[in-house]
Amino acid sequence: MSTIQPGGRATGRALSAFTIDLDVYSGPYEGLLALILKDELEIFEVPLRELVTLYRNTNPPTPPGETPGVLERDTDFVDSATSLVLLKGRALAPAHEPDGEEDDEGPSAQDLEERLVTYLKIKRGADALAERLAHNACLYPSAHALPPRPGSLRLSKDRLAKSLRRAIARTAEPGVSHLGQITVTVQELAALIRASLLHGPLSFEDLIRDMDRLRSAVAFSAALSLAAEGRLTLSQTEPFGPLTLTPGK
Amino acid sequence: MTDGNGYESTSQPDAATPSAVFCIEAVLFLSPRPVALSTILQVTALSEEEARAAISELKERYSPRYCGIVLREVAGGLQFVTNSLCSALVERFREEARPAPLSGAAHEVLSCVLYLGPLTRAAINAARGVNSDAVVRNLLDRNLLTEAGRDQTSPGAPALLDVTEDFLLAAGARDREDFPTLEEIVEPAEISRVRERIKGQESEHPRMDEPIRDPEGG
Repeated sequence: MSTIQPGGRATGRALSAFTIDLDVYSGPYEGLLALILKDELEIFEVPLRELVTLYRNTNPPTPPGETPGVLERDTDFVDSATSLVLLKGRALAPAHEPDGEEDDEGPSAQDLEERLVTYLKIKRGADALAERLAHNACLYPSAHALPPRPGSLRLSKDRLAKSLRRAIARTAEPGVSHLGQITVTVQELAALIRASLLHGPLSFEDLIRDMDRLRSAVAFSAALSLAAEGRLTLSQTEPFGPLTLTPGK
Repeated sequence: MTDGNGYESTSQPDAATPSAVFCIEAVLFLSPRPVALSTILQVTALSEEEARAAISELKERYSPRYCGIVLREVAGGLQFVTNSLCSALVERFREEARPAPLSGAAHEVLSCVLYLGPLTRAAINAARGVNSDAVVRNLLDRNLLTEAGRDQTSPGAPALLDVTEDFLLAAGARDREDFPTLEEIVEPAEISRVRERIKGQESEHPRMDEPIRDPEGG
């Protein structure tokens, strides 16, 4: 069941003011989108038709030009709602599984008939099940939780000491003997890149021209770190093309 | 014999030895989960006959007509639950809303597994005609479905899904047999209508089982 929030009935406002109250979610519409994108709410659980109806009820049509911002807001909603339809469609589409002859020729009429009859039975079974689950949802069992018996709380000193040792002991340092000596650091090459950038944009290929593979890799890592800090910009006009480092602003 | 509350009672309080009814009532009162008859027999040291007679009396005493607490047989055991008439009051007292109902898709998946299962995820998808992986994940999270073995006949031996004890509890069912069969649920006339409709489609489009070809391209 869905309701419209009292504060939601106003035209010309931003989409961020659109609040919804569905069985699966209650709150700002944009929050719903965020939860879906973060996979914290399953898209298939969201009744899209109900959502669109809510929006239409909350935002009745107005004559063109009467309320500024309505067109943009409606466009935003249509844009996001179509994305939700697409997402839901993809989530529900069965994975393509080649299945011998059927894949080539499609299901036969008889096969289709059996499938539909099976689905009909499942559907009716689901309806009966929904009714049964709803009826039983209002029966509450005892809330008693048996407390642990005192005997099970009794701990020997030795066992406690052993547990404590295990909890506070440092794990053994992993061995590094198999690693070669560190000859170059990201910091060193970051300093080198920053110094080189003082003269203007720099080609990454030029930068690593005289470096071995290890130094080249570390230089790339240093460039990424500097880019993440905003100290430089990485640009590449085409995939696998030359990489240019430009000083950050 | 009738006790002070007007119930037929075979059990009388005795300071030294509690009656079978008292024993079973106490055990059930303490347990939030259903208690199997075997457990009751083990704990109370009653004979099966004594226990069954006491349970029968308890069922009468804790029937929805007389009491705010109801004794029900569910998930292979016995359990005290509140009377459904008191549900609103219980929810208010516990300051908890009733859990949101499952979606239609979730009911369909449960129905698939209950009636056709144990099933693999692929079999559920095939039965419903849509991808149900997300619904299955949700039902596994809610402990209404569980992985119960592997389908050794399929490539990769995918997991077989089955309903759980929590599902039986949620449905108030003693066991899997406590559900009506699909034949009882679906009207034969409805199935006939579907078959006729498909046959009608078939006669209108006799080549529906052949690939669609471009009329010009052949």
